[in-house]
Parts: sequence; structure tokens; C-alpha cells
Amino acid sequence: MSNTESVPGGTLTRVSEDSLLRVTDLSLGYGEGADEKRIIENLSLTVGNGEFVSIVGPSGVGKTTLLKGLSGLLKPKAGQVVVGGGALEGPHRDVAVVFQDYSRSLMPWMTTRENIAFPLQGRGQKKPLRNKAADEALDAVGLGGQGNKYPWEMSGGMQQRVAIARALAYNAKVLLMDEPFASVDAQTRFDLEDLVIDLREKLGVTIMLVTHDVDEAIYLADRVIVIAEKPATVVDVIETGFGTHRDQVATKADPRFQDARGRILTRLRK
Amino acid sequence: MRTLTNVLWRLWLPVLLVVLWWFASANSTNLFVPPLSRILGVMGRDFTNGVLLQAMSSSLSNLALGLLIASVVGVALGLILGETKRLRLILDPYIHFVRSVPQSALVPLIIGIFGLGSASKIYAVALACVWPILLNTIDGSLGVEVGVRRVSRVFGIPRMLYYRRVVLPGAMPQVIAGIRVALPIGIVVMVVSELFASNVGLGFYILHSSSTFRIPETWSGALLVGVIGYVLVIGFSLIDRQILAWYHKSGAR
Ligand SMILES: Nc1ncnc2c1ncn2[C@@H]1O[C@H](COP(=O)(O)OP(=O)(O)OP(=O)(O)O)[C@@H](O)[C@H]1O
Ligand SMILES: [Mg+2]
Repeated sequence: MSNTESVPGGTLTRVSEDSLLRVTDLSLGYGEGADEKRIIENLSLTVGNGEFVSIVGPSGVGKTTLLKGLSGLLKPKAGQVVVGGGALEGPHRDVAVVFQDYSRSLMPWMTTRENIAFPLQGRGQKKPLRNKAADEALDAVGLGGQGNKYPWEMSGGMQQRVAIARALAYNAKVLLMDEPFASVDAQTRFDLEDLVIDLREKLGVTIMLVTHDVDEAIYLADRVIVIAEKPATVVDVIETGFGTHRDQVATKADPRFQDARGRILTRLRK
Repeated sequence: MRTLTNVLWRLWLPVLLVVLWWFASANSTNLFVPPLSRILGVMGRDFTNGVLLQAMSSSLSNLALGLLIASVVGVALGLILGETKRLRLILDPYIHFVRSVPQSALVPLIIGIFGLGSASKIYAVALACVWPILLNTIDGSLGVEVGVRRVSRVFGIPRMLYYRRVVLPGAMPQVIAGIRVALPIGIVVMVVSELFASNVGLGFYILHSSSTFRIPETWSGALLVGVIGYVLVIGFSLIDRQILAWYHKSGAR
């Protein structure tokens, strides 16, 4: 999938034939002119077609900011993001996002089916068609038959499944996920992690997931990208090499998992 | 059973007040404070002979149309202003200026401009009611969750759909609250607008009876306006429960 990769002094360039998402020297920040605050500086990375990439970094480093940049919500101060063939100008048809705060990203005045179908409605899909797609997405995330419920009638874990279903139904090429499991209990979190692995295997979506949880980052990904410093940039890249199959116990006991874990924790402690 | 107890619990005070009023005024000889029995008698008479029904239908249709215009204009403008910061900053001072003028004071002007027909009364009600609806709608749209806005942008929701399915429902709790505030204001202006060179409506009924010293009629008209206000507010809260079912049930309050 990739031909060359180098990590000189903390920046990464990866040249890939079939890369779906390519970020080059990206700088992101808030404010203009004298008030400008750089959060991300000179960050480069690529995500190949069908790849699962985790981005791990400490809280407040700028993970959400990065995803805003990659989803076209925040304009780059410098550098560019390329999705498919073209430079990203704004929100893109091929990019779907699962946000950090699921309870605030689902609309309480819509049923779960309507929530999932809403982006399709925005695309002009007729009702029977989009409802069918929504119900299929609900099935895929293990919530079959719950389309008529409202989000607030559901547990946090179920709501996050709905948010994932919405992104799936959008049928984008890249799925960006911002700490999607940060606010659910441990068991639910494991279930959701395995759900995502499962979906990825079945549907072949390309996923970039952002988290501050090192274990989660390693467990899920083919490749872990570590970001740190202020402003943030890529400080390390680790190929996990687990293949497509994962197991909450066995994978986490794998020496490669332990090595990666030690390496990332050491890197982040610096 | 529970609702019955509720209703009874709500009713004891008005019933007590009516009974008190009835007996306290029973032997009144004061011209301006006729016995309640007479007031109700006159009210009954004017209902049967159609005078009050005609007055009510004219007043209430003005109120309804005025409120409708105020709601449509207030909500549409409120959503646009709520979503467009630049426009909002420019217009905000004017909105607060106009709204600080007592709306009843504008009624003669509106009648002067739009003439004596019902159109001017409808405009007067609309103009008075539009402000609370407008301001509440702006607030409501500003209160729509950032998360929900982000979702709409990321998934490329077209502008009109975004207004209709995201901002409007998100702002709806405040919109409803605004209309609830506007309702009594509208009733006052409805009556006031009929005090000027008018020959229909409840306001006219009240003014005409008092200027010809038919005081029981005056009381019965005023009482009726109060009851109408009460009934409308109750009716409105039922509508509110319907429209905002998600809001009340989700515990968002
Ligand atoms: N809209 C904004 N305007 C100005 N500064 C912002 C804005 N959003 C975030 N920041 C700042 O950017 C920095 C990174 O924030 P960001 O939310 O991207 O971090 P994060 O890595 O996602 O954190 P967390 O793990 O807590 O979610 C923080 O210092 C934050 O204060
Ligand atoms: Mg974040």
C-alpha cells in the first residue's frame, strides 16, 4: 500500500499510490492576525484506501481541531487536505464524521431513523429510499427495529451506535471519528470498538479515529499516528501489524501491542 | 382519576372567588359595581341575542390573523437574524428601540395609516405581538447546539432544509414561549384597537356600554375578555404539549 515512509525530526511523509486522504504540511488554528492561535503546525499524513488509522495524543493537543480541518469545517492556515483526487474546500461528500459528543450531535426532535436519514434527505433522496438505508444502517450497528425511538430514549452506547449508523448510511469513503467511545462505560466501549472493527471488515470503509486512549488507538488501528507538542505535529508512527482480526484479550496481550504501548507512552511522556 | 383531582384542585380558587363576588356584590347599589347576578344576566342575554357572539367573532378573528402574521414574520425574521450575526448586530438596537415603545400607544397611528377597517386592527395586533416572538426566536436559534450545527455542515444539509429541520425545531421551545408572551399582549391590543372609531368587537362593546352608562355590559365585556385570555392560554399549552412532545419528554428542560 505504501512505498516510502520517513519520520525525520517528527514530520512524516508517506507516499502512497491509492491514498484516499492526503494531508500535506497542514497548519490549523483559531483567530486571525494578531489573535491567531496555532494549534496544529506542519502536519502531514496519508490514509490509504481501506486503512484504519488511529491518531493518539494527549487531551487538549488539538485532536478535534485536526478532525475539523479534515472534515472541511475549519480552513487550513497553511498546507492542504486532499480527499480522493481534489483539495478539500469545505465539507465533502466522501467524508463522514462521528463526533465526540454524541448526545449533542443527534437531534432530539427526530427519531433515530430520521436522524440517520437526514443527511440523505439533504442529498435529495426520497423518503422510502432513505428510510430503507437508515434501517439497514441500524441493523449494521445492532439496533435493528429501533428506528422509531428517539435518541433520548436510548443509553449513551446506543446513541453512539446511532451516530455511527448515520455516518455509515452517508456512504462516504472516509469515516472520521472523534473519541467516539470516550463517554461510555468500559464494557460498552469494548463492544463499540469491536463493532467498528467488524464494520470495517464487512464494509471496507476507511477509518481515521482520534483518541487520547493509547490502548484503544493500538487495538483498533493498522497504523497509529502519535501527535504531540504545542502546536501539535506528528511525532511518531507505528504499524501495528495485527491484520483485520482483533480480540480484546488476546490482541492486548500480544507482545507487539505491549511494545507499541510502551513506545507511545514513553513518547507522550517527553 | 388523577386528572380529575387535578382539575378540582385548580378549580377551587376561581369558584371561591366567584362565590365571594356573587355574595359581596349581591346588594350593591353602587352604579359602577353592579351585582354579579346582573352582570351574568346581561352577558347571557347578549349571548342569546347574538351581540356578544358577533363582537367576539370579529375580535377573535382580528386576534388570530394578527397573531398569525406576527408568528410568521417573527419566526422567519428571528431565524434569519439568529443565524446571521452581521445582520443581527446591525438590527439589534432598532429592534430594542421599537419594542420599548408601548404598543397600545401606536394603535391610533396605525389606524391613522391603515384606516378604520379590520386590516388596521390586525396590523396593530401583529405589530405588538411580533417583538416577543422575534426576540425569543433569535434567542432560540442562538441556543441550537453547536454539535447539531456541525453535523448539518459536515453532511452538507442544504440551507432551507437546515432552517426547517434543524434551526426551527431547535428554537421551537423558545418560539412557543414567545407566542405565549405575545398572546395576552395581543388581547390587550385587540381590545384597545376597537376603542378607536370602531363599531364592532369586544372593545367597542365595552366602550359603548360604559359611555352610555350600561355598566353591567361593561363588566360583562371585560369579564369575557379575561375568560377568553384564560381559555386561549390553556388551549395554547395543550398545543405546546403536542408540538414540543420531544422537549418535555426528553427532559431537556
Ligand atoms: N473554537 C475555538 N476557538 C479557539 N480555541 C479553540 C477552539 N476550539 C478549541 N480551541 C483550542 O484548541 C486547543 C485544542 O483543542 P481541541 O478541542 O482540538 O483538543 P482535543 O485534543 O480534541 O482535546 P480533548 O481530548 O479534550 O477533546 C485547545 O487549547 C483549545 O482551547
Ligand atoms: Mg476533542
